[in-house]
Amino acid sequence: MARIIVVTSGKGGVGKTTSTANIGMALASRGNKIVVLDADFGLRNLDLLLGLENRIVYTALDVMSGECTLEDALVKDKRQPNLALLPAAQNRTKDAVNTDQMKQLVTDLAQQYDYVLIDCPAGIEMGFKNAIIAAKEAVIVTTPEISAVRDADRVIGLLEAHSIKKIHLIVNRIRPAMVQANNMMSVQDVQEILAIPILGIVPDDERVIVSTNKGEPLVLAGSNSLAAIAYNNIARRLEGEKVPFLTLETPPEGLWERMSRFFRKK
Amino acid sequence: MTVDSSITSALEKLPETPEETVLPTAMETITQTQTSAESVTPLQVHLKAESGNLLLILPPQTELKEGPAVWSDLWLQLKQRLSAGEKFWEPNTLVHLIAENWLLDGRQLQEIAEALAESKLVLKLVQTNRRQTAVAAAAAGYSVEQESAIAYINQYQLTSTKPGQPFLEPLYLETTLRSGVEIRHPGTVIVLGDVNPGSSIIADGDIIVWGRLRGFVHAGARGKRECLIMALQMEPTQLRIADFVARAPENPPAQFSPEVAYVTDEGIRIAKGLGFQRPDLS
Repeated sequence: MARIIVVTSGKGGVGKTTSTANIGMALASRGNKIVVLDADFGLRNLDLLLGLENRIVYTALDVMSGECTLEDALVKDKRQPNLALLPAAQNRTKDAVNTDQMKQLVTDLAQQYDYVLIDCPAGIEMGFKNAIIAAKEAVIVTTPEISAVRDADRVIGLLEAHSIKKIHLIVNRIRPAMVQANNMMSVQDVQEILAIPILGIVPDDERVIVSTNKGEPLVLAGSNSLAAIAYNNIARRLEGEKVPFLTLETPPEGLWERMSRFFRKK
Repeated sequence: MTVDSSITSALEKLPETPEETVLPTAMETITQTQTSAESVTPLQVHLKAESGNLLLILPPQTELKEGPAVWSDLWLQLKQRLSAGEKFWEPNTLVHLIAENWLLDGRQLQEIAEALAESKLVLKLVQTNRRQTAVAAAAAGYSVEQESAIAYINQYQLTSTKPGQPFLEPLYLETTLRSGVEIRHPGTVIVLGDVNPGSSIIADGDIIVWGRLRGFVHAGARGKRECLIMALQMEPTQLRIADFVARAPENPPAQFSPEVAYVTDEGIRIAKGLGFQRPDLS
């Protein structure tokens, strides 16, 4: 039986879809059969991040309405044959789907794959309820901002009420220099409030934006950026491996930086 | 006096901004009118042990903002309450559902039964004053008691206007109160866990938090100024006792110790928990 994991956050724009794409890709490259399901009906993005937009023929909604089979709608990734995408419909809203349909769809997917990763829409309304209904585990993505953490806290409460007890945390877009200068919440600060085990810490990285625009997940590009390593480590931890967390301290300032700062002060 | 000597550094900063510790009279009246209307009956899902069974009492379905108005809110409250009190019953305890005026269909009854089963409780009997709920419960195989009014709730509604009404037994919650959760209880509330920012507790009695208190708390909500708020780590969004309002100091202390908030003539004060003596007892 597949592991069914929903990637959620409450707040929008914290990196749910980016995390789904990269974790999915990393798990696939480790030899698992993965399907990523875009549950963001009406505002789908996962296909863009995976670079699969132009290969979509049918969507999840077509499968639910019986217009095509599940096989027809699944988009296989040529670069990584272990990964398939079930795209959301773009021309409908989240009310077009109900929880029973969603449950059935995910149960069908779970028969054929090792992992079902569900990319949850922002918010806690119908789209959220549909996305979590069939999930057995959850990955919470948050950024070290007070608003994102507050929303994540609310979502964890809702997940627990829906009997999803296996919840892990990804702190995304952390900037070690700002944390050191006490201008950003640290991972410890975030964890003190949310009180759930940490799955990974992903540093802020411009290359994530580049990879998004190219439709090529960072992990796939074989990049040696810290963010790519962090996502690979997250995939390994999901599989039960014990991987130490990256040390994200800023390198000590060189002589040049210290001198230039000294002169700027004057 | 012992109380004065035990005031912590956190509170010594408070008198610098007196307008925020004790809000003007205009604000006080607002809270007073609020308090007279609220927490008379248990407005939330309530669990009560009675002669070997557990009573699951649903709040009357009203338009009042304090109570859950729709099924999904009710269900959420039930799940949260069950997971916070699991160690207070033995496995396979029988539950009597007192459904009040809630109109529940077979599927909703099944969801209640499933939620109870997850906490190792067994739904046995449904008490309702709605005919459709009674039919659905009978069809699902539960014992049914159809009554026009429930003595237990009635007792509270009838005595609601009278003064000197006893508090309900303390509510003991073993959970983290996360953002969005609101606990209302006509009595004392004890939380074993953190009270996170964005959550709130409104109690007619004391509030005791064995953990970090970072949310909004209101003790003595029906006007009892002797009520106390206690926490291992006191950094609330806002504190209220009876009709007094206070907020935490702008700069939190470097080290936290257990503290007690209480009402004096000048407003809410906070003292170190160790060696604290109730002002009304000393």
